[in-house]
Amino acid sequence: MIHPSHLKEAARSLLASKQRTILALIGIVIGIGSVIAMVSVGRIVQEESLRQFKEMGTDILTIEKEFGGSGPPGMPGAPAAGAAAKAALRLATILAIPSRCPGIAAVAPSVRGSGDISFAGKKLERCSPMGVTASFLDINKLTMRKGRFLSDLDEQSRYCVIGSQVAAELQKQGASQLLGSKIRLGDNLFTVIGVTNEVPQGGMRRFEPNEMIYVHITTGLRVFANAEIQSITARVSNGTTNNAARDQVMAYVASLGKGQTVRITSPEEIIAQMEKQMQMFTLLLGAIGSISLIVGGVGVMNVMLVSVTERRREIGIRRALGAKRGDIRGQFLIESVILSLIGGLFGIIFGIGASWLIAHFAKWQFALSFSAILLGVGVSNAVGIFFGYYPARQASLLDPIVALKSD
Amino acid sequence: MLTLRDIRKSYRIGPTEVEVLKGVSLEIQQGELVSIMGQSGCGKSTLMNIIGLLDRPTSGSFMLDGAEVSYSNDDTLSEIRNQRIGFVFQQYFLLSRLTALENVALPLVYRGDKGTNSHERCMELLKRVGMADRAQHRPNELSGGQQQRVAIARALVGNPSLILADEPTGALDTNVGGEIMELFKTLNAEEGITVVIITHDPGIARQCKRVAVMKDGVILS
Repeated sequence: MIHPSHLKEAARSLLASKQRTILALIGIVIGIGSVIAMVSVGRIVQEESLRQFKEMGTDILTIEKEFGGSGPPGMPGAPAAGAAAKAALRLATILAIPSRCPGIAAVAPSVRGSGDISFAGKKLERCSPMGVTASFLDINKLTMRKGRFLSDLDEQSRYCVIGSQVAAELQKQGASQLLGSKIRLGDNLFTVIGVTNEVPQGGMRRFEPNEMIYVHITTGLRVFANAEIQSITARVSNGTTNNAARDQVMAYVASLGKGQTVRITSPEEIIAQMEKQMQMFTLLLGAIGSISLIVGGVGVMNVMLVSVTERRREIGIRRALGAKRGDIRGQFLIESVILSLIGGLFGIIFGIGASWLIAHFAKWQFALSFSAILLGVGVSNAVGIFFGYYPARQASLLDPIVALKSD
Repeated sequence: MLTLRDIRKSYRIGPTEVEVLKGVSLEIQQGELVSIMGQSGCGKSTLMNIIGLLDRPTSGSFMLDGAEVSYSNDDTLSEIRNQRIGFVFQQYFLLSRLTALENVALPLVYRGDKGTNSHERCMELLKRVGMADRAQHRPNELSGGQQQRVAIARALVGNPSLILADEPTGALDTNVGGEIMELFKTLNAEEGITVVIITHDPGIARQCKRVAVMKDGVILS
């Protein structure tokens, strides 16, 4: 039984006990706010990652050497001993992929190095060496800020190209001129010949482009400890599906007959996997938010119980004037729903504000999630009804005579 | 219009059962101005609660406008209170957050009245009790007598067949109490509204056309 005057009444009685109302609201605001913030941050992260994926292109396959495990089924005679010590993929074999597999337009194998890196005797933090080919720049959608990238003529050279983070580090260490600076990798000195532009974090790349020191792959294979090509980025030719290209590569690797196997990941798979992860994330965060909502709801229930006790006489008067039990219950339910809706409203503002801030500092693109807002309104409504029902019922069951006599 | 026959009411207090009303029979005609008088503890409040349908008798029959009402369910009792009984209480019992006008309109809210002409109806009644100029005042801005006038307007707003007043002058000084009694008398004389006043004050009771004296749970005369 909702009467327009009930709404006015509810607002008025909530205003009459402002302090208590505000205190009860805090719980709801935090609860709804965190649900909203978490759900919409989840959405933002998801959209951001997908955006970066799309930026990289969906025609990129990642080919990785498979360690351990058995060979793919249908390959009898795969050497069982191969497990950890499978023969390395040879550079020439990899570079031959585009000519042997028509579905692959270009490949960019890479090899990762480790060890101390220093400049002018000072250790450089947060950077890591990588051996690459000339095709690496294009396939990974990197661009040059200064100088040039490594070319096929740089085989076995001691040249390197650095990411923007490394460049900043060098400047911090006092490099007046980036190009021509000498960086020490282990026992070798490398001359900087180029700097790549800064790349936003995340996405499909399996490395942090800004923190890389690129050397030619032939150099890398020679100077890095235990160097082995582990990851190849390949661009699929126009008009070939990712699956077809993958099959060609699989067949080619198998035809080498050395028991080598590779794992090939397409962007679709990574996106699907990521979406699944995000879904779990969102659910988990939603659950955490729900717990704070229960706490907020108990706060609402408490306020409503106090309100019912304080207004026993009012309840008695209303009952004497003809209010049915349902009217009284409705009145208090409306109050608790309005209470939690107000909390929900502030919570939505708080949550959106928080997710905006998070997005701002993480340099993600902010996106307003309408489903989160709907969720906030819906959930606060439900909290109001759920936690308001018991006090409202208590109010409706008061004996009018007893209620009238109380003060 | 109102017939009580052998109404009994007992309360259980711990192991003992206390009979507060021991067979009250009373008949009140349409348009009467009756007072039910008695010392405190004689059971008149209990009787008033039963007449006002706020409580049910343990046994006996209560006919209102020719229909047995005492044993109806809670919702029906609420409806009858709302439609046919106007309450006036000793402590006025206005809702402090509402204006005089809104207080008067309160019974109409529970009729599912959409409020189209309720405003006019309420103003008319405030005028009737001499409170039209205070319509927008809240109870704490009004004197006791003024509050009781507003309460009377509220009792009248639903066009009840019975006004039930419980010590309506009990919290007022003699002069103001007299004015309130005059108002009851006028309403009774001019509009033929049935008024039942419960009081312990013989002075008040004497102003009514008929006095029912209660003692120890029964009506003496």
